[in-house]
Amino acid sequence: MVKSHRFSRLITPYLFLIPAIVIFLGLMVVPMARALLLSLVKWDGIQEPAFVGLSNYRNLLDDRVFLLATMNTLYFIVIMVIFQSTVPLLVAVLLNSGIKGGTFFRTVYFMPVIISLAITGMLWSMIYEPNFGVINETLRSIGLGGLARFWLADKYTLIPSLAVVSIWQSLGFYMVIYFAGLQNIPQELIEAAKIDGAGPATRLLKITIPLLRPVITVVVVLNTINSIKVFDHIWVMTAGGPNNQSTTFATYLYQVAFGAMGSSNSQLGYASAIGVVIFVATFVLSVILVKYGQIEETEY
Amino acid sequence: MMELTRTQVVASDRIDRRRKVTRLTGSVAKYAAAVLLLLITIFPLAWMILTSVKNQREVFTTLLPKTLDFSNYQRVWLVMNFPRQFMNSVFVTAMTVLIVVSVATLTGYAFGRLEFRGRDTLFFIFIGMMMIPPQVILIPMFIFLRDLNLLNSLPGLSLSYLGGSLPFAIFLMRAFFKTLPSELADSARIDGCSEWRVFWSVYLPLARPGIAAITIFQFMGTWNEFMFATTFISRPELKTIQPALYTAVGRYATDWTALSSGLIMSIFPIIVVYILLQSQFIKGLTAGAVKG
Repeated sequence: MVKSHRFSRLITPYLFLIPAIVIFLGLMVVPMARALLLSLVKWDGIQEPAFVGLSNYRNLLDDRVFLLATMNTLYFIVIMVIFQSTVPLLVAVLLNSGIKGGTFFRTVYFMPVIISLAITGMLWSMIYEPNFGVINETLRSIGLGGLARFWLADKYTLIPSLAVVSIWQSLGFYMVIYFAGLQNIPQELIEAAKIDGAGPATRLLKITIPLLRPVITVVVVLNTINSIKVFDHIWVMTAGGPNNQSTTFATYLYQVAFGAMGSSNSQLGYASAIGVVIFVATFVLSVILVKYGQIEETEY
Repeated sequence: MMELTRTQVVASDRIDRRRKVTRLTGSVAKYAAAVLLLLITIFPLAWMILTSVKNQREVFTTLLPKTLDFSNYQRVWLVMNFPRQFMNSVFVTAMTVLIVVSVATLTGYAFGRLEFRGRDTLFFIFIGMMMIPPQVILIPMFIFLRDLNLLNSLPGLSLSYLGGSLPFAIFLMRAFFKTLPSELADSARIDGCSEWRVFWSVYLPLARPGIAAITIFQFMGTWNEFMFATTFISRPELKTIQPALYTAVGRYATDWTALSSGLIMSIFPIIVVYILLQSQFIKGLTAGAVKG
């Protein structure tokens, strides 16, 4: 009786893990290994693949569109990490300072998060529309017609306009995360600071932010990963265009693999190489950010 | 107690009043900022709702509809074959949620309440999977499904979601199971329960909040997924809502009333779920993120 019990205790955990391990191996590890192998071939998906070694990667370095995608992806990372890490924090602090109806505000701010990024993109496409869209129409009706732009075509407004969509959609998400983090800050510290005469700005900078460091790290890492993999709304709004001006790692990969709107020149090997680059970039950045976030633990 | 001179009383009153005014302006400013943000958040959604009930002629001219025209919804419903796409989404979402919840509960329990060699390393690897962008496995998954003849199949699509969805769900379930007391297991084991009984009869019934949280998450994630859904299913009658809408955009490019109706119909289910369960949503989300 006792022996079978001990055996049961030893074996059972692994039994519990079997479904996850099967899924994990079959639907994650194997595809990833396959992606690596695929990046070493030239293949259109139909004929026989041809082994080409590292030439896909070499071609990437010469690929002007890939270079553009890299620049755009970096641009996105910078904008999104800055705005999607700071603004939500300020909003969370605002709500935490005891405004009446805080829960109502929180509920509303969170609403865009539950809408798919694809639908959000389609919605904002209409809003940005140069001739009849709400933004330009409003500008014209208040006499600021000169500020109206081809938001999704003009070189300078293209990426920021796309970024705004992401910021609008995800604000509530990161705000809620920060809000929870704020709840964990002991009230006594804030009170002590107030007594010492620290104003709200000082309290924010010297106490709140340092104490929120782990949460901020999580948010920044999430933002970075999301900026690299962002696809849905860009694809829906511009498909990487016009003329590849808004292409990113994710949209370029898709374009190369499946063609924008069914073109026939599939390059699965080349696209897989881009996929490997995406993976490496994400991994490296995440590791750097997590390490950076762990230095200097605050003590209080 | 010291007698205050008249000047001192007046001065101290002035300071009090100034403090009150500063506090009041502070409150007003905060409130104004919150309301402004509220408007910015709401405006696109409100515009979409208004546009969907406008007469086609009114779209570009007036902000508020003069007449309520619901025919747009009817049009889109029929032309887009909305019910069909809706059911497709329901099927894929239900299947994915079912599998993810079952597996994540088992796995989360193992990581959270059982002890075994390699537990923490294995968990760490699982969590690492959370950081992998779906693009990386897009092409291999495409080929995999094609080889198994699972392209253009709803179960196939559901399968493709599992790898990416499990890590986070396992993370949440583990965190949740860790909050439950271990005495329950001890007494159950003393009573002679097998490990499976401990899980099934003791801890699982207590797992409802955690299960609710990951169900909501998975529902949201699967319902809103676009990239895999567009890639792995090309037959129109099998498409889920998101890619179906995207196809519709081409047709309705300038017919904003129709497009808005389509978008609203697609969002509707998830907004309903959100309004009914908002506290769960937010609680589950923060539990996971902050414990990380």
